[in-house]
This record gives sequence, C-alpha cells and structure tokens, in this order.
Amino acid sequence: MAHTVSIRKAIHEWRLYFFVLPVFILLGTFHYYPSLSGIYHSFFDWSGGDVEEYIGLRNFQRILSYNFKNHTWVYDLNFWISFKTVLILTVFNIVKMLPSIAIAVLIHRVSSQRWQYWYRVMLVVPMVVPGLVTLFVWQNLYLDPNWGIVNKVFNVLGIKSMLVGLDRFFGWNIFQPGMPIAWLSQPELIIPSLILWGFPWIGSVGVLIFLAGLQSIGTDVYEAAELDGANGWQKFMNIEFPLIMTQIRLSLILVTIGTLRDFGLQFLLLGENGGPGGKGMVPGLWMFNQGFVAGRFGYACALGLVILAFILVLTYINNKFVRVDK
Amino acid sequence: MKDELTFTTVGSKKYDMPKHIIIWMAFLIEIIPLYFMAVVSLKNNALFNNNPWMLDSISQWQWGNWVFGAKLMLPYLANTIFVTICSVIGQLVVAIMASYFFARYKMPLSSLLWSIFMFFMILPTIANIVPVFALLKSLNLLNSLWGLIVMSIAGHQIFNIFVLRHFIEDLPRDLFEAAEMDGASHFRQLKEIVIPMCAPIIGTLAVLSFLASWNDYMMPLVFLRDQELFTMGVGLIYLNSQYVKEWGHVMAAYLIASIPLIIIFLFSMKLFVRGLSAGSFR
Repeated sequence: MAHTVSIRKAIHEWRLYFFVLPVFILLGTFHYYPSLSGIYHSFFDWSGGDVEEYIGLRNFQRILSYNFKNHTWVYDLNFWISFKTVLILTVFNIVKMLPSIAIAVLIHRVSSQRWQYWYRVMLVVPMVVPGLVTLFVWQNLYLDPNWGIVNKVFNVLGIKSMLVGLDRFFGWNIFQPGMPIAWLSQPELIIPSLILWGFPWIGSVGVLIFLAGLQSIGTDVYEAAELDGANGWQKFMNIEFPLIMTQIRLSLILVTIGTLRDFGLQFLLLGENGGPGGKGMVPGLWMFNQGFVAGRFGYACALGLVILAFILVLTYINNKFVRVDK
Repeated sequence: MKDELTFTTVGSKKYDMPKHIIIWMAFLIEIIPLYFMAVVSLKNNALFNNNPWMLDSISQWQWGNWVFGAKLMLPYLANTIFVTICSVIGQLVVAIMASYFFARYKMPLSSLLWSIFMFFMILPTIANIVPVFALLKSLNLLNSLWGLIVMSIAGHQIFNIFVLRHFIEDLPRDLFEAAEMDGASHFRQLKEIVIPMCAPIIGTLAVLSFLASWNDYMMPLVFLRDQELFTMGVGLIYLNSQYVKEWGHVMAAYLIASIPLIIIFLFSMKLFVRGLSAGSFR
C-alpha cells in the first residue's frame, strides 16, 4: 500500500497532483460528462441538436408502463422482443463456452512444455486477424446459401436431409429438399445463424483465461489423484473444474454482460434493422437504431439506461449466486 | 515476471496423442476461414463460380486483386496505424502518471479521487455513444482522427490504472527513497524506476490496448464521415456494403487488412503470448 504522507510533505509535493490531472480531465470530458448527459437527456425529447424539450418520464413510459385511464399496458414491443432474442443468445453463448474449457484442459494436460507454448501461440493467431475480417468471411463465404461452406458441409454430412426430414415431421416449412438453406435471409434462420456463427466456438481470450487458472493448480493435487487412481474425467470433475471456478465465473460474467450489451455482430451481419423480420434485433441495436436511424436520441438514452439496469441486476445476480467456494 | 515462459505440466506422455489430434482439429477448423480467404483472393468471379474452394493453377492466379486490395486498404491502414499508435502511447503515458500518483504516496484527497474514479466506473458506458456523438460535435472533433484518439485514450484508463497501480505499489519503496535522496524528480523516478521495473506489465497493457484500438470499428463508423479518414474497420464495412462484389477484390482487401498485425505478431510473438496468457488474468 502507498503510505500516508504528512501535510507538510504533501504541500511540498503539490506538483504530484499534476500527475493525476490529465486522467481526470480526459475521463471527466469524455466519460463522466457524456454518461451524466445521457442520464439527463433520457428525460428529454431530443434529436441530437440544440433543441430539446423536457418531457419528464415519458420516454420511460413509452418503454413500459400501465395506462390507468384505459387499463392497458404501453410498451415498446420491439425492445422487449429483443430481450427474448438476447436471452436465447445468452443461453447459447454460455453453452459455447464449453469447447473453450475443453481445449484449455486439453492444452493444460499436454505433457510437453514446448507444445504448451506453441498451442498458446496458435491460440493468439485468430486474435491477430481483425475480428471484422473473420466476421465478413463467415458472412460471405460460410453462410451464403449458394456457395456457402456451411451448406456444402451440411449436404455432405447428410445434416441437410436430416433437417428436411425433421421439417416434414414438425411442419416448420423452413428446410426444403433441393433448395439451399438461406441462412441470413430467412427470418426463422436468423437466430440459428447467430448461434452457429464462429464454430467451433473457441474463444481465444476465454481459453487463455482458463489456462491461467489451470496453471495455478499445484502438481501435488494431480499426484494425489493419480495415487487414488482417478481417470481423466474424474480429474476434470474433481480437480480442474472446481479449481477454475473463479475463471469460469469471470467468463460467465463477461459473456452474459457482453451478449446483453454488444450489438456489433448483429449490426454487421444483419444491418441496423436486425435483418429480415427484425429477428436479430438485440437491445443495444434497438438503442442504436432509435438514436442514429430514427433520430430519437433522448429515447435512445432512456433505452440505454434500461439496458444498464439489466446489466447491473445481472452483475448482482452473478456475484450473489454464482459463488466460488474455495 | 519471469522472462522465460514455463508451464507446469501434469499430463502423462502415454495419452498425449489423442489430445494433440483434438487440439489440432479444433485449430484447423478455427483457422480455415483464413485459408479460404487467401484462396478466393486469387480468383476472379468467373474462376470463383467455377471452383470456389480450391487453388487454380499458378498461371491463373489473379495478382491484380492484391494490387486492388493494396490500393484500397493502404490509406485506411495508414490511418489505423496512426490512430492506434497515438492512442496506445497516450493511454500509457496518462495511465502511468496517474497510477504513480495513486501508488507512490497517499496524498490528501487521493482516496477521495480514487473513489470518484472507481464510482464512475459503473456509469452507463452503453448509453454513451449518443451523448459522446453530441459532445464531439460541439468540440469539433467529429469526423477527425484526433476525436478517435482522444476517445480511445479516455476509454481504457480505468482498467490500465487499476492494474498498474498494484504493480507500482509492489515495487520496493527503498528504491524510490534512494532516488529521492539523490534529488531525483518524480519524472526521473518514473523514467528510471517505474518504467523499467514494470516493463512486462506495461508491455501487456500495450498489447491489449493495441488490439482493442486496432479492431475497433464502432466509434470510427459513427464518428467518421470522409472516406479519406476511414480506418481499417470502417473501410472493411464500406467495402462489404457494396452491392455488386468482385469476390477476389474483397478477399484480397481483407487479406491485406490482416497482414500488418500478423507481421507485428511474428516479430513479437513472445510478448503477445505472455501478455495475453499471464499478466492481467490472475
């Protein structure tokens, strides 16, 4: 810890305050001020210019309120549907953490030091390629109905005919024989495309976080398990999984909050309206849409605050219930 | 931090092979989009329609695509390099100074300042993009690279200072006191003690903020209007939004956009790997 200094010394060292000045000027101007301005403007009808009109809570009432006069609910349908979408995506994004955990454990158990290093190098490689490039390659080469790799692979592996069979059985009317699967253009397939995106779902940062956690497990624990004759799976369930709970919890928080907050993927793959039928609309994108497309900046600020409230609740739940017992 | 990377190994040699195979397969699937990108970047649309996924004979390779991609992307890349380098340097200078302030002494008001600092961390950054747009407009920083740089410098401070403060606090205090005896100013102490002793973590933070600035597209997309100011991300989005696409051109542009970072990575692999695997996650 930094030690406390006497007042005299502090006066003598007054120039030190200049060290902290830049950061407060920067944060004050470009972080605190806009945040407070966002809260302030959520009570205004504001289209981004100099004209603004105070409208009290009406922005929030438009998001969700009960009208006592005609006994009806007033709500922003698109916004609440977008929460349903984001809930589905969150569940799948959590499931998509599993390959990362598995790969981390596998790399950790590789016995050669050199390979452990090279596998880490290989993990970093996808991170060095700009995320946008990967995303656009997926959009253009993978998910395209006509020449897309996904459709090719599905045809070869027989998944396509399986899907057609299931379709006939359940009457979805999505997968037709002889017709390519229109991943990003058929409303019903938007969410499946977003889930499929990024296969095999190895998040480099995630794996590296898990590896850091695995590294801190002592070898003696493994030796003891070895003596007891534990097999690989038992070692995973009884040693690795519990001991990297901290890291899993950290990624769980990062994943849930990230899914709720980010909208870049949906924006880039599907456009500002969330794709055909708005099926890919997520809360952040709706905020962006209301601000920059519809020009209702005050309302967008209010939407942002509601999303923030959800994020805070989620963080609280995460801290409270996803406990680590060490 | 150690200079050599060492890992504890727990696996037994006996069952190594299946692990290697699974890991390699996962990596190959992960990397394969890059292969397709490279292959398509050497085709024109006719060749692509004919045979999308395999390399043609060398005589048919369309190097013109690469020329097109380079002409298109190089100005964007120059902007990106400028923005990224300025932001990384700016971020680190500001963060090192501020964390020195918090870590060196407990000055009057410093815990109050720290609380303000931490409290505002929870402020709604998500709703920010709209007010930030208005703010930059009134500061005349909209549609300028300096606006991006300033935003990026302000954006990463909290994490950087949070990490750096603890590292500076852990440095032996005798060092600072000895320096003070010799009459070294605080800037001297920063230069001679803090920066050399905290070099590994500063490197890690530099890598992280470099990657973040390099890959950012949301802010440039919202804040930049003129095509000559576009950064790589906006350039790629712009290219992708064109209706009729010559796929070879598009993929060659993607490839060229990826090259600078790959080159940097090849020369500083250790720094990247160490930065991303040890440092800040523990």
